[in-house]
Amino acid sequence: MDTTAPILEVSGYSLDYATPAGFTRALDGVSLGIAKGEVLGLVGESGSGKTSLAWAVMRYLPAGAKESGRISLAGKELTAASPAEIDAIRGRRIGMVFQDPGTSLNPTLTLGEQLAEVLVRHRGLSRKDAWAEGEAMLARVGIQLPAAMMRRYPHEASGGEKQRVVIATAFACQPECILFDEPTTALDVITARQILDLFAELQDETNVASLYISHDLAVVSSVCNRVAVIHRGRIVEQGPIAEVFAAPRDPYTRMLLAAVPRPDRRVIETVPEPRADALLEVDKVSVIYGRKPFLAALLGRVNTQFTGNREITLAMQPGEILGIVGESGSGKSTLARALTGLHPFEGQIRFGGRPIHGIADMDRAYRRDVQIIFQNPDSSLNPRQRVREILSRPLELYGEPGRGADKAAIAGLLEQVRLPADFADRFPHQLSGGEKQRVAIARAFASNPRLVICDEITSSLDVSVQAAVVALLVDLQQRHGTGYLFITHDLNLVRQIAHRIAVMYRGDLVELIDVGDLAAGARHAYTRSLLAAVPAPLAA
Amino acid sequence: MAELLRRMLRSPQGALGLLLVGLMLVLVIVGPWLAPYNPETFTPLQRYKPPSLQFWLGTDQYGRDILSRLLYGARATVLMAIIASALGTLAGALIGTTSAYLGGRSDEAIMRTIDAVMSIPSLLMALLIVTLLGKSSFNALLAIGIAFTPGMARVTRSVALTVRKQDYVSAAIARGEKARYIVWREMLPNVVAPIVVEMTIRVAFAVMLFATLSFLGLGAQPPAPEWGLMVSESRRFMHLSPWMILWPSLAIATVAIGFNLLGDGLRDALNPRT
Repeated sequence: MDTTAPILEVSGYSLDYATPAGFTRALDGVSLGIAKGEVLGLVGESGSGKTSLAWAVMRYLPAGAKESGRISLAGKELTAASPAEIDAIRGRRIGMVFQDPGTSLNPTLTLGEQLAEVLVRHRGLSRKDAWAEGEAMLARVGIQLPAAMMRRYPHEASGGEKQRVVIATAFACQPECILFDEPTTALDVITARQILDLFAELQDETNVASLYISHDLAVVSSVCNRVAVIHRGRIVEQGPIAEVFAAPRDPYTRMLLAAVPRPDRRVIETVPEPRADALLEVDKVSVIYGRKPFLAALLGRVNTQFTGNREITLAMQPGEILGIVGESGSGKSTLARALTGLHPFEGQIRFGGRPIHGIADMDRAYRRDVQIIFQNPDSSLNPRQRVREILSRPLELYGEPGRGADKAAIAGLLEQVRLPADFADRFPHQLSGGEKQRVAIARAFASNPRLVICDEITSSLDVSVQAAVVALLVDLQQRHGTGYLFITHDLNLVRQIAHRIAVMYRGDLVELIDVGDLAAGARHAYTRSLLAAVPAPLAA
Repeated sequence: MAELLRRMLRSPQGALGLLLVGLMLVLVIVGPWLAPYNPETFTPLQRYKPPSLQFWLGTDQYGRDILSRLLYGARATVLMAIIASALGTLAGALIGTTSAYLGGRSDEAIMRTIDAVMSIPSLLMALLIVTLLGKSSFNALLAIGIAFTPGMARVTRSVALTVRKQDYVSAAIARGEKARYIVWREMLPNVVAPIVVEMTIRVAFAVMLFATLSFLGLGAQPPAPEWGLMVSESRRFMHLSPWMILWPSLAIATVAIGFNLLGDGLRDALNPRT
């Protein structure tokens, strides 16, 4: 067989979904080919049709889908294959790795059963052989104690371990082609790095043809040979990684590349003056989750409480942007919740020199001066309220007395976040993700706060939207001199906009460092491993 | 709203439920004008008549026209049932949402009390209240409302607990909003959909509970044309004229089925995943 002939070939493929309002085009004349041993990256923003293409290849489409064009696997036409043929191909010749290992594994079966099932089904092994083979596979994907892991249930394994099991399952039958649908998006930076390394190793070893779907251009540039950029169901550009990223021809690709955060491209120039009076001082603040169990103490049981923050101490100047980074569960958001009075804490906070010992001390003035913006605008905006009502509440509570929330005030707020005034009459579900987050920002700035806590506010947004939101935040900071506590897991982004960075690990503040000193100088071991794990920023 | 109606009509339960309940509501509004006779006029010569052209559904032991009594009684029966369930729903929704909002020990205290009240069967509870307050339609209505409150509080709380975790509630707390605003404006509008479904199903129970109370002589009092009471009164004359007990029983069953189907249809229509 000719080695250069593509294993997976999609040509002129279009897909429409039936909706109550008629057909919507999901894919439009998509053509691509993946040769043996090649990794094709498919990048695009949410809603661009990346995942639809993966489902089309897997032949798993909803009943109302209408398609045209061809998809073939090593010469075998898949669009015309019978359900029985597809059953034999799926899992055997085409594997798939999903985004979230937490939902792609069945919580009621052990990991071993799920892995052995594939081997029994597709390779005709006996249960005993399949089990032994499964153990060998787990050892291959870097699981420390494969025999023990086989007997565990998904909830007894970490996210990284689960994703390793899913990858082992996909590779188990030595398929010719594997589809990866954002396999590292749900994982922490360091775990994601390890999974990517594993992927590269297995790829070299098995020479499988891989389609790697991702929204993260940095990841794609590090694992793929070729890249296809998809925009609104249409492939706008395709070619070798180095060529496309060095000299993008399509304006959409150029826009996408320009939006990727890069630490060397600082978006904030000003430096807060080192003044004696800090805006916010956090002094040995600890947060403990769980109620003190009344019965457990009587029965002499072990305390089940969980520490979210352990004696955090830090200080911020007025107008400073302090970045907080760390993996999920490191206590970043817990600190934000303590500072906004959403969770009780121990220790002391000083705001503008005024001591605050607990939620009871957070009076109107404090609530006005400290605002929070949440990660997901879908849940932080009440779906049953119009934008007008959402924005009028802080104005009524904290606006100029007597003025209240009139039309002009709301239009002013919307204008500040670059939204048209007639958005006031809309409901949140009538806005896009970026627009919703702008409304949430407008709500936070309605009371003229001195400190705004941004809790992962860009992580649910696409790269290009994220860049616009960050630019807006920087603009607002310059206009009002507001201080930001910018919580994120994206190191590249935080290095772009923060003055200082606080690194958190398992509830502890392990390091507080100036952004300028991050590239050189002595650092904590955890910070070092975090920096090493971040996908290298794209070469310009 | 139009979209909701369309989705309702797409499912057979929704369409049938809508039809039955719509028909009932028409009877409630214009029933008394449609009635061919006065529901309380005795005609001693026309007792125990089977259905005929003159009396479409027959007559009862005093020679009263059953059709007219049913048409007049629709208001007493259906309207009362709706008001009673609305009352219980509102009280239950408020208690459930407040309990979910407060959380922690207050939530425990409120919900354990509700559990204790719930362990008394609703009919027994309603009987207790009516006996304490005295026999009348209004007291029966109140009794059913109170008997429904714990169940509704439980349903609402389970929904409100997920709403409580949403960031818009956190945002309101961080903004320094009062508890009353958060419960009324932020949380209640978002728990309404499942509550409305639960309420329509409860209306069916309320109709039957009302009928039961009247049947036991604790609800509507004779000569009111209440359907449960009609069943109760005609029981003794069943062997003389089976029609007398059949028609009001059928009417009660139709309302109960109608509201049940409407609830099923609403649940499907309000769930975007179907």
